[in-house]
Amino acid sequence: MNGYYLYQRRHTTLYIIILLLVAGFLIGRLFYIMVFQSSEYERMAKELHERQREIKAPRGLIYDRNGVVLANNRSVCTISVIHSQLKDEAKVIEVLSSYLEMDKEAVRKKVEKVSSREKIKSNVDKELAEKIRAYHLAGVMIDEDYKRTYPFDSLASKVLGFTGGDNQGIVGLEVQYEDVLMGTPGYILTLTDAGGKRVEHSAESRQEAIAGDNLITSLDYNIQTYAEQAAYKVKKEKNAKSVSVIVCNPQNGEIYACVNVPEYNLNEPFTLGEDVKTEGLSAEEKQNLCNQMWRNEVVNDTYEPGSTFKVVTATAALEEHVVKVTDSFFCPGYKIVEDRRIRCHKAGGHGAETFKEGVMNSCNPVFMEVGERVGAKNMYKYYKRLGLFEKTGIDVPGEASSIMHKLENVKAVELATMSFGQSFQITPFQLIRAVSAVVNGGTLITPHFGVAVEDSETKEVRKLTYPTKSGAVSAETSQTMRELLEAVVSEGSGKNAKLSGYAIGGKTATSEKLPRGNARYISSFLGFAPTDNPSVMVLLLINEPEGIYYGGTIAAPVVGDIFHNILPYLNVEKTRPEEEETKETNIIITD
Amino acid sequence: MEEAVKTEQKKTSRKRKKTKGRFDYTLLIVIMILIVFGLVMIYSTSYYTASTKYDNPAYWVIRQGMFAAVGFVAMLWLSGRDYHVWWKYSWLLFIVVNLMLAYVLLFGRVVNGAKRWLYIGPFSIQPSEVAKLALILSYAKLLTVNINKIAKLKYMITASILMAIPIILVGIENLSTAIILVAIAAIMLYVSAPKKKPLIILALAALGMLFVFYNLGGKEYRGGRFEIWLDPFANEDGYQTVQSLYAIGSGGLLGKGLGQSLQKLGFVPEAHNDMIFSIICEELGFVGAIGVIVLYLLLLIRLYRVVLRVQDLYGALIVIGAMAHIGIQVFVNIAVVTNTIPNTGVPLPFISYGGTSIAFLLCEMGVVMSVARTMQREE
Repeated sequence: MNGYYLYQRRHTTLYIIILLLVAGFLIGRLFYIMVFQSSEYERMAKELHERQREIKAPRGLIYDRNGVVLANNRSVCTISVIHSQLKDEAKVIEVLSSYLEMDKEAVRKKVEKVSSREKIKSNVDKELAEKIRAYHLAGVMIDEDYKRTYPFDSLASKVLGFTGGDNQGIVGLEVQYEDVLMGTPGYILTLTDAGGKRVEHSAESRQEAIAGDNLITSLDYNIQTYAEQAAYKVKKEKNAKSVSVIVCNPQNGEIYACVNVPEYNLNEPFTLGEDVKTEGLSAEEKQNLCNQMWRNEVVNDTYEPGSTFKVVTATAALEEHVVKVTDSFFCPGYKIVEDRRIRCHKAGGHGAETFKEGVMNSCNPVFMEVGERVGAKNMYKYYKRLGLFEKTGIDVPGEASSIMHKLENVKAVELATMSFGQSFQITPFQLIRAVSAVVNGGTLITPHFGVAVEDSETKEVRKLTYPTKSGAVSAETSQTMRELLEAVVSEGSGKNAKLSGYAIGGKTATSEKLPRGNARYISSFLGFAPTDNPSVMVLLLINEPEGIYYGGTIAAPVVGDIFHNILPYLNVEKTRPEEEETKETNIIITD
Repeated sequence: MEEAVKTEQKKTSRKRKKTKGRFDYTLLIVIMILIVFGLVMIYSTSYYTASTKYDNPAYWVIRQGMFAAVGFVAMLWLSGRDYHVWWKYSWLLFIVVNLMLAYVLLFGRVVNGAKRWLYIGPFSIQPSEVAKLALILSYAKLLTVNINKIAKLKYMITASILMAIPIILVGIENLSTAIILVAIAAIMLYVSAPKKKPLIILALAALGMLFVFYNLGGKEYRGGRFEIWLDPFANEDGYQTVQSLYAIGSGGLLGKGLGQSLQKLGFVPEAHNDMIFSIICEELGFVGAIGVIVLYLLLLIRLYRVVLRVQDLYGALIVIGAMAHIGIQVFVNIAVVTNTIPNTGVPLPFISYGGTSIAFLLCEMGVVMSVARTMQREE
């Protein structure tokens, strides 16, 4: 009918060849995309498909030395909404605002915000969250979280510190050991469709959270509790501004108790004390008051140590061999240094006395004399050896530095006042560290709270180590000092800390706060036991007591009381003959 | 001139025997595999969206299945009928198609911003899909009737203008289908015409028209499709292309497994439609994609075999039209999903969702099978 030519078949053949070539090219293109670019596209697609939800990691616990939990976690929930999944916005707003006791408008604003995820409220009680969960509201996410709780509210508050909204440490050990305590958050990867809805029956890839490691501290719940009670008691009796107590082991620097009353409630760290008037204060002023309240005074603040510092002067003198225990002195009640007449605390003077008696009497002229014999340069050598120019290295943040005269500025008057602990400032822990070295045979320790870290998974315990430096004081001097300081307690100005049967050494102090003349004092007592081989040291500071303010009168008995309770507890043996219980508390002893 | 053409007319010298009524089972099997595979893939790509949208995971696959069933029956029926019956109705078909296309342009319902649908009672059909088959049949007749004049530029131009009328009607609303039609027409013309020079002139004219369309008519082609093609990641409107590449890339060598695509969960828009090949790649991998391409090549080569072995030019041109239709659509579709060419909406024959498309494509195959029955067999 019609012509069908060969060329037409040829043209068809050409067409089919071209198609085959195109097919080959497209196969090559597919190979390139599906083999060479595959991993990249797959990764990009995966990012699109997966919604990541974080699983909060519980924070590590803080224990005392006997396993008492000082900082714990409580399960709470974070409630948030995923806008793309919301179905009944009005109901969501209604339910959330009523259960969470939030302003309806505030909730509405968050619910209506077009974001992938909007947090409504965190730290919601688990029970309350379960009630909300029961509504099965589409688009409302309830995630478990942890909130830090402190079972003993205010116990060791200034040491432990607390955590913020994201469970991060804010102050104290919580921030110092952030890296240890903080866990590694896990995550849930959920497959979602293009609308952000979870794909049903899809496998969730889940990376579990790893709990933070636990911190084992040297704190002893019982000693801390008792020390705190004693501090509150004396604070009340003397209507003092604050009272601090440090109980530690002078051999290794472990701190058994660190009290600064008034303490604050760690579970409500932003609630100021009842006696603090907050009316009419700006937010900034309130914040400053909070910061003040959180201070760990024995670490963050310095003070003039007063007579307790005579321990250092005596040690320097003995080390320099410029004085012997039996050397004779005469105290007329004052000492003229250059043009000044520096008085002894005992108005009439102590009269003739040996060095030992001078120490027992805490006689200022004796120490001025001895200090003069040592000389400023040598005195500073011992200050340095005893770590008074450096921070102690204690494991809480914000440690203060000592405030000292420059050596070239130390003239006779400065040297004289420094000999009995005035005209410079150190922290209580620096004093503890220096006296520990004096009585423990000459080893400069690092006072610390953290003793070990327990792995939350493996329960493996890793001991923490701290630097020590031996040879600060010779063994003989150490021995002599222990004897002298025991005499202070057994027969001298520290009598009120005496405890029948126990070998207790110590030194009293009363320092007038700057500016002088305002009759504001810090009364303190530093004691340790047993004197043969000291295993516990206590420093008590009463800040601005009313009425009688002598350390020997008001501080020493408190330390005596603390020793009375903790020495048997710490299994310190009685090595001295027991005396009849004739405890003469509150005899006025000036120092 | 005519004599010159006639001298070229050489019937094959090979001795052939007419085996009237012999059915091409291979062709049938390949088509059946493609249909079944297409239904499986439509279910796989659409069940998630269908269950969220219609609460019926099988919504689309059932609809497609019904059209495929109707089309399959029509195919078998048509394959048994002498295709010359269309010779008689070719002009009528041509006129009806043009009227239908004009009608839909004027009164068609706007869906997704384009007038492409004709509603007959509860059914909706896409006249442009019907046009593909009708035009192949009428072009085949047009070219067969004028086969001895076609070498002349004058006749070629006349034929081209006639062929272009329905294509322009389609192109106003649906440029991608018009491009397929242009390609079909061009290939049929090329195969028919003995001389290259008039073809080149025509090709240049077609390019010129394409340029005019690009600037004036084709509203689809505005909005920087060219820029998107160059860097789909930098362009917000490149979303579809980017998602398609993610799907293909995620497939890797062996794929994620049937039903395991994630990109079909709303990421690749209407994954059961034009972009279905990207999900095939994601689920069945490079190996599966090759399998699909090989199936199409098998089909095309089978059609080529028919072209080589029939004696009748009309029949041959129908098969060539079908080869052009399927071949162009398959490779344009794959080229689009792989971002090898700028995005244009072309369905994957037999596999992509589309009732009119599958039904009329199967009718086309029916006519092709009818042609195949006239094949001569080598001794």
